[in-house]
Amino acid sequence: MFRTPGRVAAAALCTLAPLSAQDIPVTERTLPNGMRVLMVERHDEPTISCGWVARVGSADERPGITGIAHLFEHMMFKGTKVIGTRDAKRDAELNALQDRTVGEIRKELDTLREKARRGEIADINDPGARSPRHQQLLAELDKLVQEQRGLIVKDELDKVYKQAGATGLNANTTSDRTFYHIDVPANKLELWAWLEADRLKNAVFREFYSERDVVLEERRLRVEATPTGKVQETFNALIWQAHPYSWPVIGWPSDITTVTRDQADNFFSTYYAPNNITAIIVGDFKTEEAFATLQTYFGGIPSRTTLAPRVTTLEPPQGAEQRLVATANAMPMVQVTHKTVPSVHKDAAALDVLSSILNGQSGRLNLELVVRKRVAVNAGAGNRGMKFGGIFYLGGVPAPGHTPEEVEGLLLQEVERIQKEGVTGQELQKVKNQVQASTYARMENNADLRDQLAEAEGAGSYRDFLEEPARLNAVTREDVQRVAKAYFGPESRNTMVIRRKEAK
Amino acid sequence: MARATILALLVSGALLAQAPPPRPEQLTFKPLAFEVPRAADFKAKLKNGIPVYVAADPAGVPFVRLRVFIRGGSFLEPRGKEGLASLTGMQMRAGGTAMTPAAALDERLEFLAGDIDSNIGDTSGAVAMEFMEKDLKEGLDLFMQVLTRPAFAQDRLDQAKENLLQGLQARNDKTDGIAKVELPRLLNGEDHFSSAQMTGASLKAITREDLAAFHARLLHPENLVVSVSGRFKKEAMLDLLNRTLGALKPGAAAQVSPRVPAPSFRRRPGIYVVDKDVPQSLVRFALPGLRRTDPDWHAAQVMNQILGGSGFTSRLMKKIRSDEGLTYGIGTGFSDGAHWKGNWSGSVQTKNRSVAYVLRLALAELERIKAQPVPPEELAVIKDSIVQAFPSQWGKKANVVNLFAQEQLTGWPENGWAGYREKIQAVTAEDVQRAARKYLDPAQLVILVVGKAGEAEAGDGKDHPGALKDVAPLPLTRLPLRDPLTLKPLS
Repeated sequence: MFRTPGRVAAAALCTLAPLSAQDIPVTERTLPNGMRVLMVERHDEPTISCGWVARVGSADERPGITGIAHLFEHMMFKGTKVIGTRDAKRDAELNALQDRTVGEIRKELDTLREKARRGEIADINDPGARSPRHQQLLAELDKLVQEQRGLIVKDELDKVYKQAGATGLNANTTSDRTFYHIDVPANKLELWAWLEADRLKNAVFREFYSERDVVLEERRLRVEATPTGKVQETFNALIWQAHPYSWPVIGWPSDITTVTRDQADNFFSTYYAPNNITAIIVGDFKTEEAFATLQTYFGGIPSRTTLAPRVTTLEPPQGAEQRLVATANAMPMVQVTHKTVPSVHKDAAALDVLSSILNGQSGRLNLELVVRKRVAVNAGAGNRGMKFGGIFYLGGVPAPGHTPEEVEGLLLQEVERIQKEGVTGQELQKVKNQVQASTYARMENNADLRDQLAEAEGAGSYRDFLEEPARLNAVTREDVQRVAKAYFGPESRNTMVIRRKEAK
Repeated sequence: MARATILALLVSGALLAQAPPPRPEQLTFKPLAFEVPRAADFKAKLKNGIPVYVAADPAGVPFVRLRVFIRGGSFLEPRGKEGLASLTGMQMRAGGTAMTPAAALDERLEFLAGDIDSNIGDTSGAVAMEFMEKDLKEGLDLFMQVLTRPAFAQDRLDQAKENLLQGLQARNDKTDGIAKVELPRLLNGEDHFSSAQMTGASLKAITREDLAAFHARLLHPENLVVSVSGRFKKEAMLDLLNRTLGALKPGAAAQVSPRVPAPSFRRRPGIYVVDKDVPQSLVRFALPGLRRTDPDWHAAQVMNQILGGSGFTSRLMKKIRSDEGLTYGIGTGFSDGAHWKGNWSGSVQTKNRSVAYVLRLALAELERIKAQPVPPEELAVIKDSIVQAFPSQWGKKANVVNLFAQEQLTGWPENGWAGYREKIQAVTAEDVQRAARKYLDPAQLVILVVGKAGEAEAGDGKDHPGALKDVAPLPLTRLPLRDPLTLKPLS
């Protein structure tokens, strides 16, 4: 769901200079409907890594429909007017009937919600609290679902791709963008264009209501059944006071269970316009032929004249430093965060370099906290730049006999040292050597390159990715010291301490 | 057709392409030729007999990647020293070398933006390096130090043990941490090495001398297989490797690793439940499988892909996720049986009260694939998918040489992949049914559930009644949680 900070930092450490300029030959085109196309042609493997990214994520939601961007990602695998059904007409009727029944069920839920508000029932999802009419509506819905199931060609999108030898069909959603991707054999680019254009033009959100249950299971898997999932979620909500980054990408459970197909339709038509999407292909094709194919398929999707609304909420400065203390069935740990800047901000590169100097076996945090003082068993830092903001975090796990608070003090001390004394030329050179190596590493793998281009398009432009090595190479010792002074004040700080829950 | 017409068609085709057909099946594709890479084309031998698989790519990115695979692992650990193999693997790199102390090695590797990594697992280990071409000489020198002269510095070992101890304390924090301890015991017995796990006491008992002795024992040319890829010329690389790895002689303590011992355990099929207070249970299940060299292998593969091995296109996923919304994912697979007959096993996570219902649905799918021949279209989809995706599974040459080296180390036949696609394509509906009947015997099932035991055992009272114990005619046993440090059952 979120990029892991470690990977972002690694991906950021790339350069064009000084060994020899390694330009990544991206061909960029824009279709008349506004859809952007990026192509990188190369012939070392007989496959093409394909994907498209829509500039929409959980930051575009609001309370009441949190999780819809991600739920939507699931719905995009449920087929179209052509794919996934034996009888498109009856299928559409059944969807309408289901929606009507769900509308009635929502009224029943409103009643239960009111009872819960008054404390008359404990849980609106308790089957025992349902009225006979509510039970009857659920039975009716089940009948409609059963009838529709008879017409559905199960997961036909996956089947068509699989039979063609495509691999890795998947998608993922972050706060800022939604990304759909797959790798196809080199001779199957047209199949990809056919199926993806079809689901952009003709998507049908069937099995909508059972898919909400799948998402709830996904939520249990990722959050509720993990030792620190809910603590992390609470911490995130603490960090972001006003900005939509405060809610989890997967959404709050009560929103996931009440979202309707109408709301999903609305969301789709607002954000899934071709002029809000970039398609990316990397691999074994001829650029002009490939572009003609993409134009044939994606060019026919009508563009939308009204642009998707922009996120306008700016995170205000915190009124106070905040602290979360939790117990969990987990290793004790501490995480100190400071709000920083978006990934495309001019200070992002210096913050990335700062995190690299703190990180690694020979980095300051490991040397000082783990090797010399032996107060922590591990310690690290990361700069996570997102579209509208960023977080720099410092974290560590205390060694036996030491507390998270001791680790916290030492983490902050290392930043203070850099604020006062700056960093050494050797440290900066080390980072730049790593930048040089990643200049090559970042373009080795077709799928990785596609993913990085998509990530950059989600937050700005692929050019930000191409220019990142140059930006990192331009960072000076003064820059690193300046950002260390600028972003690490207590007014943007939030700290999470986790202690192990005592066994009963 | 006249030449000019063809040319005109090509031109208009390139600019406009043709109108999209109404269904994707109506698209036509150029054939894609792919020949299976042959191990012999990459293979060479160093002067001391170490096999090496070489993929030179002089026009590629300026990296050199070298990996020495080591035969040997935790199956060689003495009792009471569980964890010795993995600690030795870890500390070969982390503890520095006789010539380069740990801190200097850390600093130099990160300054060069290079990497050396070492690890030892259950049956094999590896020491690997990645350097920029310009740093090859220095990198290979550091690599040889790590491989042959690790110092196992005491302070680094102490730190690693402290870190591992923290990890052990977290053993019961996650459901899969618990399953990792319990499942091998249920499948292979407590006495088999695959069930042996590090404890607080065994960790404490491991000394620096143990690490040095374990390393010295493994470092025998006959235990090693090498892969190398990247920007270099093949002859020059072989020359360099002959002067380094090729000069390696067995030391006094070196031993050729023996065969990996197979378990001699008589499984007790059943449903086993470990109580853990979480909202979602982890369910693992397993049946005896086969080895990759078994004549049934291809039919078994196709059968598994239909049943549970191909994501959304497999029956278990369609039924349990897409139809019922009961899980985020369910998947199954055959392990390849590298050292003894493997398992067919699967995994699913679902809210506690749905466990029994999910298992009933899964077992019904097992029975269905045994009872009814797979329809021709479903069979074709799965076979095509395996065959069509085959080229992409080989990837770059670096992957190819790593695969061949690993297979040589394990002892698989050298040309095992030749004819693979043809054999898959030849699998019939009868073959699938025969494999299903042979390998899907529910009386042999071992099912492990880690979750809130009371809720999982009771089942979904309202919507899908049925208790866990009634899912199959198998005994249901509650397993106690273990103390994370001693692994002794907690009462």
